[in-house]
Amino acid sequence: MAPKKKEEPKPAAPVAPPEPERPKTPEFDPTSVTLEFTPEQIEDFKDSFQLFDRTPANEMKITYAQCGDLIRALGQNPTNAEIIHVLGKPKPEDMQTKMLDFDQFLSIHQHICKAKNRGTYEDFVEGLRVFDKEGNGSVMGAELRHVLATLGEKMREDEVEQLMQNQEDPNGCINYEAFVKYIMAS
Amino acid sequence: MGCGVSKSDQFHKHSGKAVTTIRAAVLIQRWYRQYVARAEMRRRYTWHIFQSIEYSGEQAQIKLYNFLGYLMDNFTPASNERNLISHIFRENEVCRDAEWERYFCYKNIEVPEIYSGPHLFFPLTVEQAVGLVEAFRNKKQLHSRYVLQLLAETWKLFRMMPNINRISTCQSKEITICGDLHGQLEDLLLIFYKNGMPSLEKPYLFNGDFVDRGKDSIEILIILFAFLLVYPSEVYLNRGNHEDHIVNLRYGFTKEVLTKYKMHGKRILKLLQKIFSWLPLATVIDQKVLVLHGGISDTTDLGVLTRVDRHNYVSALRPPKKRHIISTGTSIDSDVDEDVWGTNKSFQRRASLIYPQPLGTRGSFHNRSLQDFSDRIRGKEEDDLEARKRRQSVFINRSTEKETTLTVSTDSESSDNVRDEWKQILDLLWSDPMSQDGCVPNEVRGGGCYWGPDVTEDFLNRHNLQLIIRSHECKQEGYEFCHNRKVLTLFSASNYYDVGSNRGAYVKLGPDLVPYMIQYQATSMTRELTVRQSAGRTERSALKVLREQLFAHKSDLICAFKKLDSNNTGLVSLNDWATAVESVMHLGLPWRMMRGQLVTCKSSDGTVDFNEWFNELAIKRPNTDHIDQSLLETLYRHRSTLETIFRIVDTDNSGFITIEDFRQTWKLLSVYLKMEITDEAISDLSVTIDRNQDGSIDIDEFMEAFRLTDKKSRLERGRSMFMGTATDLTKLDEDPNI
Repeated sequence: MAPKKKEEPKPAAPVAPPEPERPKTPEFDPTSVTLEFTPEQIEDFKDSFQLFDRTPANEMKITYAQCGDLIRALGQNPTNAEIIHVLGKPKPEDMQTKMLDFDQFLSIHQHICKAKNRGTYEDFVEGLRVFDKEGNGSVMGAELRHVLATLGEKMREDEVEQLMQNQEDPNGCINYEAFVKYIMAS
Repeated sequence: MGCGVSKSDQFHKHSGKAVTTIRAAVLIQRWYRQYVARAEMRRRYTWHIFQSIEYSGEQAQIKLYNFLGYLMDNFTPASNERNLISHIFRENEVCRDAEWERYFCYKNIEVPEIYSGPHLFFPLTVEQAVGLVEAFRNKKQLHSRYVLQLLAETWKLFRMMPNINRISTCQSKEITICGDLHGQLEDLLLIFYKNGMPSLEKPYLFNGDFVDRGKDSIEILIILFAFLLVYPSEVYLNRGNHEDHIVNLRYGFTKEVLTKYKMHGKRILKLLQKIFSWLPLATVIDQKVLVLHGGISDTTDLGVLTRVDRHNYVSALRPPKKRHIISTGTSIDSDVDEDVWGTNKSFQRRASLIYPQPLGTRGSFHNRSLQDFSDRIRGKEEDDLEARKRRQSVFINRSTEKETTLTVSTDSESSDNVRDEWKQILDLLWSDPMSQDGCVPNEVRGGGCYWGPDVTEDFLNRHNLQLIIRSHECKQEGYEFCHNRKVLTLFSASNYYDVGSNRGAYVKLGPDLVPYMIQYQATSMTRELTVRQSAGRTERSALKVLREQLFAHKSDLICAFKKLDSNNTGLVSLNDWATAVESVMHLGLPWRMMRGQLVTCKSSDGTVDFNEWFNELAIKRPNTDHIDQSLLETLYRHRSTLETIFRIVDTDNSGFITIEDFRQTWKLLSVYLKMEITDEAISDLSVTIDRNQDGSIDIDEFMEAFRLTDKKSRLERGRSMFMGTATDLTKLDEDPNI
């Protein structure tokens, strides 16, 4: 019997350069959030929270689905993805059934408030300049509609319509600086 | 490797652009969603403002009515004051039919040559009914002769109808059901345009509240009655809570008729009073779908409702006169009849108006619902604040605490029956659904109940029904389901609170009994506005109304602020501001959220100079410096009540009252408001108003002089909705956003 060849460690196959690790967003931990709101601000939020509370016995609770709307109504503008993240990535069916009480909401809201990159006027204009093919300060309304409905966090047709209502000139162009001012002046 | 790198370089270049594009898209989308959320928030509290003011107006009306009834019950018979108001309670005059016929006779009324409106020849034909619609579309007015004739025929027809109409959608006929129209002719025309006019193939059911608030109530009635006469088996009308002459005094229908028909308006109104009392109470379709105006309660019984003498309830706000039962000292109702007052020795005389010594505590009549009041409960004093808190919490939060049950007097069986019947009708016309189980009195409106899903379930089972269609509440989309889709609210007056506030809807119901909704919005004003603009406009209008309300409560607010400003600095924190305002106004609104729009004079550290704030809110008035400011404020706050009382006092409906009546009115008001108003103050007022010194006062001039109504709108929609003020659209013309 031939002696068992000691298996030599095979020469390592050419290793591809390690792929940059996708930064894993850690799960949102509400307890890790320190509240920095003033008592006055908290009173304000309570007012608004109550306006959204549709429970029959006024239990000071809102559904997951309402959370994003409330945060936005209070002046922040998170993406849908950010909302889903802070809610702990709930299943779609949970959005209408699971509830948040006021304290849970406060942590979530605080976290969103602390997040950076809210998007300034300049960011906006830069973003739209991408679509300015001729560099003349205007974009094609049709192209913008297409982008908003197909890219990013897609908008529905009626939402796009509402946003762009009366913005296009007779040639179908939009002056985007004016457009941005219009959006930001809510 | 190099290849790979350059490939990925290229990739990155392309993807760089793609990334920017996506980032741009996401940015816009984020901002858009924020804008939508904020707009929705604003729309919600705008709605709250309108609705809470509307309902508190209804409540005030009922309080006023209670108060007048209370006076009636407690007066010495001969007093002048009683005479002033007694005629509105004279509902069941003993009068034979022949006398009525003479009174309502139209035959002597001549139609002049120059009259350019439609002529009617009876029996009516469909061409004439259609002709009426066209004429009204072209702003014509029907001559009073024809109005009276039409109403007389209508009255005859209604007297033959049962309390509850039963109809069927046989042979695949779809029935069209409409909700509140409130005098908005434009909406009726729109419905007819979209859906076609009533015909043998197209039956219609109108679910009450045809009149009040809008400016074309009489025209709507004429059209509905005309089609009813032409197609009596295809047109159905249910009574609403506004088909009630007492409510009409406050909400504009009485005024509209008297203005349009100066000579015969009073007769027209009287005949309408009778017709309203004969309107059917409800309709059942295919034995499965119940259609009624307000709603139900846990005691609603269709059997009882089928049997009542509905025409005895001329106004749902008061139980009918019981001719037979006037028991010792505890006559249950006080429908006044001169004879009764005179002969009934056992009637205990109460104090007169000038020196009132009320039976119960003065405050008590304010807080009860109608049934409590008529029981003449002694001494049961509800805490004013408690009742108001309850109202607010029921309105906003639907509190779960059950109200104390109504104590029903058990004098005799027939009085029990009357009470029971009356409650049934009241509930039918005034109730609203709520989301939690149970049944509680509707203290926000002042009549009827709030009923829960369990009551619906029980009711439907008991009567073997499957759906309730009702109206009575304005809904943003024109309709709304609740109680597990077993209750459908239907509202057909679009732009009800203001231009752009809501859509209207109508329902089509076929043999499958599945309701199919069609929405619309009258567009004469909204066409040019984008969604954003019209929402903004409604909000501005609501805030304007709210500011007026705040100003009208100035003294109470200053009081509340001073309590929180212990150092007398004239400043309060924003939080305290909100607390104080809510404690006075009791509207349950999110004041903190709205403070940006209500207070512009806050200092940098976030405090409010409240005196400065009132200067901001101040409503300019002409030449009234010599008149006591707090009196003016009272006038302003209660202007709708004041106008109502004036119209009651103006017995010949001339639009003028004598100085003496004016004085009496003030006395009435001062008792109602529990305020001292000195004779001098009243004299000052009279002198100011009676400019030509002829001893009589023009009601409209009075209201105008103290800016108790906004300046009369020159525009089409000169509608008076909120506490007697017309939305002043001329001011909005200056707004650059429109």
